[in-house]
Amino acid sequence: MQLTPTAEDHRIAWLAALAIVIHIAESALPSPLPGIKPGLANVVTVAVLVRYGWRTAAWVALLRVLVGSLLLGTFLSPTFILSAGGALSSIIMLGLARRLPGRGLGPIGYSALAAQAHMAGQFGLAYALFIPHIALLNLLPILMSAALLFGVLSGIIAATMLKGLATATPGSNAQLLH
Amino acid sequence: MSLTRADWIVLICLLAVQPWLYTHFWNGHSGVADHAVITALGQDTQELSLRHDQQINISGPLGDSLLEIQGGRLRFRDSPCHGKQCIHSGWLSHAGDFAACLPNRVSVTLVGAATRYDAVNY
Repeated sequence: MQLTPTAEDHRIAWLAALAIVIHIAESALPSPLPGIKPGLANVVTVAVLVRYGWRTAAWVALLRVLVGSLLLGTFLSPTFILSAGGALSSIIMLGLARRLPGRGLGPIGYSALAAQAHMAGQFGLAYALFIPHIALLNLLPILMSAALLFGVLSGIIAATMLKGLATATPGSNAQLLH
Repeated sequence: MSLTRADWIVLICLLAVQPWLYTHFWNGHSGVADHAVITALGQDTQELSLRHDQQINISGPLGDSLLEIQGGRLRFRDSPCHGKQCIHSGWLSHAGDFAACLPNRVSVTLVGAATRYDAVNY
């Protein structure tokens, strides 16, 4: 039996690879506070959501967490569980946000919402599973504000990227556009 | 960089939630302390309820440290140490609050009802 990958499979693989590279590069960056990082890999998730829809975005986000953790050696560790919880929360939030009536959200709105959901989900998981200490809650406002800031920034990057993709000639990034 | 109307609504809502997070989580309600755990050199750890106002002497190498419990709070009232850091710590009232008189080897931690772990390590 032979599996023939569809064009969408290829697209998911390419985009997930892009997200994984960003994910790993970012893991090397020092963080001012545990739990705060730019989350640039989510630029890819948001851009994919706007361009190819929720299903592809969910694949890309979850593959990124899975493969990223395998490459970083954190698979099934608390880091991985928190990462997966965050990605799952943001993907669910994006799915809900897609159902908004009218013109709906643009990349910046999606990204801000996803970042907030990511942080809230991750924090809830960390609190429930790993550090059930009441003092941890003192961190929550700072983490949520940082997530909002970085979410908006990622959204701006995603919007710029989408604009670039829209005006690019089809031949120059054939793999992404397929 | 065009923001849709929904974008604006989402951003304004999220911005509006932020101050609420700070007022809600930073109002010092970090757990109501239920009792105090007192550790002193060469003695068994003792637990004292914060519900009963009292003063208690804990003896250490330098002499007696006087702890005072009043209205659910606890403080070092007196200690025979040199720096009086313990006394300057003031009243402890939240779960997790901690004060110590290192020269006299006496320390106090307030504990709430819901403490499940001291520490979690990986």
